[in-house]
Amino acid sequence: MIKQVTQPILEIHDLTVSYDQSPVLWNVDFSLPAGKLIGILGPNGAGKSTLIKAIMGLIEPNSGYVKIFDQDLDKVRNKISYVPQRESVDWNFPASVLDVVLMGTYGKLGLFKRPGKKERELALSCLEKVGMTAYVHRQISELSGGQQQRVFIARALAQEADLYLMDEPFAGVDMNTETAIFNLLQEMSQSGKTVIVVHHDIYSAVNYFDWFIMLNLHLVASGPKNEVVTEELLRKTYGGKLNLLSKVSELIRQKEFNPLKD
Amino acid sequence: MMTFDQNAFLIIFTASLIAISCGLLGVFMMLRKMAMTGDAISHAVLPGIVIGFLVSGTQRGLEVIVGAGILGILATLMIDWLRKKARVQLDASIGITFTLLFAIGIILISAFAYRVDLDQECVLYGEIAYLPIDLWITDAGKSLGPRIMWLAILNLILVLSFITLFYKELKLTSFDEKFGVVIGIPASAINLGLMSMVSYTTVSSFEAVGAILVVALLVVPPATAFLWTRQLRQLIQLTLIIGIAVSLLGYYLAYLLDSSIAGMMVTVAGIIFFVSVGLTRYRSKIKFGTQNEAKAFSS
Repeated sequence: MIKQVTQPILEIHDLTVSYDQSPVLWNVDFSLPAGKLIGILGPNGAGKSTLIKAIMGLIEPNSGYVKIFDQDLDKVRNKISYVPQRESVDWNFPASVLDVVLMGTYGKLGLFKRPGKKERELALSCLEKVGMTAYVHRQISELSGGQQQRVFIARALAQEADLYLMDEPFAGVDMNTETAIFNLLQEMSQSGKTVIVVHHDIYSAVNYFDWFIMLNLHLVASGPKNEVVTEELLRKTYGGKLNLLSKVSELIRQKEFNPLKD
Repeated sequence: MMTFDQNAFLIIFTASLIAISCGLLGVFMMLRKMAMTGDAISHAVLPGIVIGFLVSGTQRGLEVIVGAGILGILATLMIDWLRKKARVQLDASIGITFTLLFAIGIILISAFAYRVDLDQECVLYGEIAYLPIDLWITDAGKSLGPRIMWLAILNLILVLSFITLFYKELKLTSFDEKFGVVIGIPASAINLGLMSMVSYTTVSSFEAVGAILVVALLVVPPATAFLWTRQLRQLIQLTLIIGIAVSLLGYYLAYLLDSSIAGMMVTVAGIIFFVSVGLTRYRSKIKFGTQNEAKAFSS
């Protein structure tokens, strides 16, 4: 079940990516509408992060292409924002919370220019949105996992982009932070931004996102929640993990999940 | 016994200039987890020096610096290629690359020994004590002071401009290179720029302090400063202070004990580092009781 859209914000055509001859993504082809909160679901090793990295140009695909706002990545870098996995950097780096968020403004500043008052104010307002105002001058080495994640999201907000790609922003954060981040993402998508999130927890995903991409090397599904969150497609995505699947159907039954309600 | 004459001043001044250049670059090398790449570069430039020397016929030619620069970048690319494409671990790639290039340099020196007035001792250890008698004399016969001092001044100016111009890019790519690439910062150009500066600094400091001290100055002062602070600006400032202290103390200790200045500078740097390790551990133990509670409360 792959639903293609007209005037997509992101279009991926026949994308194949492999590491050392073994394919990690196989013939992925889909398009996404603007202004949605989109979840990428799939089991471990399904190629979720690889997909994000290929979209961001961090991995060279073997074949296929990615178009964003109907253009090549290099022409629209200013409109795209990226939240890498929290573990991808060394948090012992000598920088304050504000320093890191200011890095989000560097793309628009260009070479040689230093961030000034305007960028500082922007960074502070982004920190306010993620509830980190009290930690502006804190060294990043002293932050908890959830706080690190908030700082990364604030940095992405400071890019003032239209399309946001986030790699596991809910990994290893407490409930409180998860809810706060989710509310923020929802606000963003309501104000017309498109947010694509790699997520591993199906239970919460059903509540969070309004468009789903289901991935397991191949693309299993891409479409609105009410059309793709079905037992059959989840089974296809998660393969033979029966234990998990019975939990899923139980979950769907328990919540009396009704696609028509949304 | 302790004298502060003109020669002492010139040596300490030049050593400090070199320590500052190395320290500035070393901070970013350390933050990129590339401290040992600096080591690799400082050895890998040897064949470049020899080839430059053979081409120009003099140790002071521009060709020597260009040759070294090219080899420095080549070493960086080779390490990167081995790591990413051949999937060799970083430390092994460094070990393979610089020993190979250094060995080629040694072979070149011995093969062309009759034409090369370069000795391996000088490349490895340097001799800053000769600095006051190696003067830069103009065609008109006027002496402008020690040649190596002028090289060190030029070097520092280049390093300072590079780091001032690209400060924010260096900072971002050191912290999160992928994010830098995504927002369109020329991360690989910045990286190559930094490696070229390290190569150039290594070469222009060779005669004065040798390859070993260059590595020590690239690695030890930033590592020591990192024990004390988690702020980039303070880290840089502290690195520079340590670099100057090392030059000053190294010179006078060498003078007192009548030994190698470069060797004494490395020793002093090592001592400062280990004293810092001891003091910072002691400090964190004192803080432990109260700090822990306050932290738990705020997060």
